[in-house]
Amino acid sequence: MRISAFFEARWFPALFLLFLLVIPLTTNNYFQFVINLVLCYVLIGFGQQLILGYAGQFSFANAAFMGIGAYTTSIIFTLNVPILIALMAGGLLAALVACLVGLPALRLSRVYLALATIAFGEMTTWILTHWNSVTKGGDGMYSPVPVFFGYSLDTDTERYFLIAIVCFVMVMIAQRMLASKFGRAFIAIRENEMVASCNGINIPLYKTIAFALSGFYAGVGGGLYAIAVNYIVPDNYDLFQLVIHFALVMVGGLGSMYGVIVGALVLTTLPEVLRDFQHYQEMLYGVLLIVFIVFIPRGVAGFLKDWKILPREILVHGWREEIPHVREAAKTAAVFNVGAGAEDRGAEH
Amino acid sequence: MEFFILLSAGLANGGYYALIALGLVLIFKAQDMVQFGHGEVFMVGAFTAYTVFAVVGWPYLVAFIAAVLAATVVGMIVERWLIRPIAHMPHMTLVMVTVGLSFCLKGAARIEWGKDIYTFPSVFKSGPIVIGEVVLMPQQLVLVAFTLSLSVVLYLMFKYTALGKQMKATSQNMTGAQLSGVNIGRVFSSTWAMSGALGGAAGALSAPVLSLLFPDIGTFILLKGFAAAVLGGFGSIVGAVVGGFAVGVMEKFVGFYISTSLEHISAFVIIMLVLIFWPKGLFGTKDVTRV
Repeated sequence: MRISAFFEARWFPALFLLFLLVIPLTTNNYFQFVINLVLCYVLIGFGQQLILGYAGQFSFANAAFMGIGAYTTSIIFTLNVPILIALMAGGLLAALVACLVGLPALRLSRVYLALATIAFGEMTTWILTHWNSVTKGGDGMYSPVPVFFGYSLDTDTERYFLIAIVCFVMVMIAQRMLASKFGRAFIAIRENEMVASCNGINIPLYKTIAFALSGFYAGVGGGLYAIAVNYIVPDNYDLFQLVIHFALVMVGGLGSMYGVIVGALVLTTLPEVLRDFQHYQEMLYGVLLIVFIVFIPRGVAGFLKDWKILPREILVHGWREEIPHVREAAKTAAVFNVGAGAEDRGAEH
Repeated sequence: MEFFILLSAGLANGGYYALIALGLVLIFKAQDMVQFGHGEVFMVGAFTAYTVFAVVGWPYLVAFIAAVLAATVVGMIVERWLIRPIAHMPHMTLVMVTVGLSFCLKGAARIEWGKDIYTFPSVFKSGPIVIGEVVLMPQQLVLVAFTLSLSVVLYLMFKYTALGKQMKATSQNMTGAQLSGVNIGRVFSSTWAMSGALGGAAGALSAPVLSLLFPDIGTFILLKGFAAAVLGGFGSIVGAVVGGFAVGVMEKFVGFYISTSLEHISAFVIIMLVLIFWPKGLFGTKDVTRV
């Protein structure tokens, strides 16, 4: 039996859930904390993957969505609202903001969308820093200890169960959704907007949905992150956070669900392993981003799929490799303009 | 007359916003991409000037030249070894690479300078120049004069020299330019060198005005440059200069008449509003919306 068949089996989700529930038996406190972060980053990375890998929208706003989720969850939770509702509220507010941020995406071509969203992200950080009465300013705030049906989750292991279950449910939902017409519509928009609209895909609607979903996942992920680290500062949601998201998606593999999980595992544990070299962290992420995007655009998940360890994901191959001899032609003509961002080149000339 | 005080302060800031925007626009014109690492080129210039002027103690002119050279070399190396091999790839790849580059440079600066803030000593020993109630620092005058004269030079270069025309041709159609005998490698190299030089000059000239330097300064500066370039209509030399001064002045007015705290985010608001409602900007010719 191929290994990939194992991941495709019907009973795999159940087994995976069991695996998630068994993990705490094998961990110490510190290791558990890292695992919690990995699960948060799976959700956050999912938000980035949806908008960048699937829908092909070059949005720089996900770190801001994560911040909005983290702050909303923490602030609402201090009002004695149940934790699950607080998480939902964080996700929904982030999704709402994401819809608004997505509006320019309906008009602007990619580079300009990047500029508009990067401005939005910086503005969000600024608001989080300066809205003292609500966010307690640049010093940050402690996120309250979560209470789950009257049971307070003090240790990392107890928090783990909350995080793991929310994460599992949301990943399952995402998987179902991306296998449905939503996922196909996103990919069609990424590959060629004009072809997508000729095939009856309502582009403004699906782009807005993609932004909202991305915001929702980043928001809930941010809320869980606030619970996991217990302390939130505005500076944590700046451009560097976004580069972590980008690197996560790139290292895992653009346009791959498994890639998010691989990327979250690698990029969350790597800084912990390299704790002694903290000065080099920014360089590390920058180099990872460049190396993966230039040389290994399909990411680690791409290798694993080639070796038949992970199953193929239908219609989802990340950026397609151009055949060398058509490269020259592709520079000017609109032929073979495949892959995210490719059609801009043809259209503008 | 607070109006004139604000106007002059705004124009002085606008000088280096315009220089940053010019560097961005140059690369955009030749290669049709946005350089997200440009803020770090500025940082390289500023820190080189700081090292030569404040640490080593050589004259400011030497520091300025060193800063321009350092930033030029960074620009050329990046173009030759990083961007050119992947120039045919989709936009998203190129932009993402420059984002990664910006963090590499920032991280490299962090190794030497950490997270501290450094003060750049003032260059001109003479006091401020007072005209009526308007107070100007000599450094600000130098900065504005440099920006204006350089933008005239660039404008003339694009209009009359062979290199300028080749740049225009390359951005419109790479293969076509190659077929007509344009050495596009040289065009890209000189574009990035010029853009680097502009960034380095901006860093060296504005460091005494800003007076505070820190490795994170790039992001902050880059966004101001974006605001200027977007307002001017990305891709126009005149637009970048006018946009730069306009953003500088607008910031000061918003900060004085509405709220001081809004001064810092007005650049971001300008970017978003212009892109949503008026994507062509002041002097834009290129269609930025989708087909």
